[in-house]
Amino acid sequence: MRNLINFLLKYNHWFVFVLLEIISLVLLFRFNNYQGSAFFTSANYVAGLVYEASNQVTRYFGLTEVNKDLTARNVELEIEVERLSQALEQYTQDTTGIATLRENALKDYVLYDARVVNNSITHPNNFITIDKGSADGIRPEMGVVCGNGVVGIIYLTGQHHSIVLPILNSKSSISCKIKRTSYFGFLKWDGGSSQYAYVKDMPRHSEFTLGDTIVTSGYSAVFPAGIPVGTVDDMTDSHDGLSYLLKVKLFTDFARLNDVRVLGSFNGTEQAQLEDSIRSVQP
Amino acid sequence: MQYIIRLKWFIILVLLQALVLNHIHFEQYATPLLYIYFLLKINSGNSRKGLLLWAFFLGLCIDVFSNTPGLNAAASVLTAFCRPWILRLFSLRDTTENFEPGIYQMGFTPFFRYTLTLVLLHAVILNLLDMFSFAKPQILLLKIASDAVITLILILCIDSVRRKK
Repeated sequence: MRNLINFLLKYNHWFVFVLLEIISLVLLFRFNNYQGSAFFTSANYVAGLVYEASNQVTRYFGLTEVNKDLTARNVELEIEVERLSQALEQYTQDTTGIATLRENALKDYVLYDARVVNNSITHPNNFITIDKGSADGIRPEMGVVCGNGVVGIIYLTGQHHSIVLPILNSKSSISCKIKRTSYFGFLKWDGGSSQYAYVKDMPRHSEFTLGDTIVTSGYSAVFPAGIPVGTVDDMTDSHDGLSYLLKVKLFTDFARLNDVRVLGSFNGTEQAQLEDSIRSVQP
Repeated sequence: MQYIIRLKWFIILVLLQALVLNHIHFEQYATPLLYIYFLLKINSGNSRKGLLLWAFFLGLCIDVFSNTPGLNAAASVLTAFCRPWILRLFSLRDTTENFEPGIYQMGFTPFFRYTLTLVLLHAVILNLLDMFSFAKPQILLLKIASDAVITLILILCIDSVRRKK
């Protein structure tokens, strides 16, 4: 007995080692479905504060580029608005028609402005931290977009910060379609360059050409239909040969993401409940 | 007093890693893992349990900032666990002596070997846990090698500057 106790005392650092490794690995592997707590991530209060302070300094560095982008985008949109309102005037002579149309498009969504305070693009599973949380009305499963296109979906929310699951994460899957012909598939990312992702499950008989625009399909309540995602850059057969695999050049430049908007849906819960009830009926 | 200095280094290295070094991806691959310099410099007379606990909290702090709970903690604890043997292997000094590992205290070549072994070990564990697959072996090897080289260079630079002071 005494020998056993001596042995345990002599080698107790082994037990500390094993214990600490187990704690680390449990944290590592449980994070994947760790919806309950955001404590050990940068949605935690202290880490959020540090990142916010550092972001106060660094956000100015990319401002010239951002400004240039915004101006270009603005001009583009103004031309588009001009063209659309002209087209619309041909159909309706009264001006209230335009206002109703605009209201209808975003009627089901409420927009929150947020700022990116932490971002990564080189890991196999990347996450983005933004400076709005549950206290500001952000909830998990809300969509996140930026000026150029889709960014991702809210994953975890803390009191004042949230973590976004961006397109650049192997767990992300966003339903999208070809704008011109409306054939739809799923947007996935499998590591590598942050500028390219893949659309899977595009049917063999679908029509598209290289350079076609990909937009969100609007089949889930997370994103409304028609938010730009990217352009078709290349196409191959999928591994099982049953569908096409499209390589998409993303509009969103994740390497210098700064201001984003979170889309809160009014009807989302009802749609999600309906879809869940169907899933629970099926075996 | 020693604890206050150690704590100061701890905070400096965590902030440096979280705010600057984690965002460096030299040639798309190499990320300096400078924070393990803290583990390399703890006195050789320190108890193994203490070393392991410091390593765990160091890794956990880095993890909190980079959204990878447990990843850096697991790698740091393993590195700290192997440190006493590797230090004894490469140090020319008497094993019972209490000293702070460094170029000045150990001589350049032993410190270089000691640092290279631990940095390489850390980079291997960290990248293996991060990718968690052997599907892309070239990328994995390239990342391990580039991380280790850039970290080694940084640590040797900092230690030779500190020696002169």
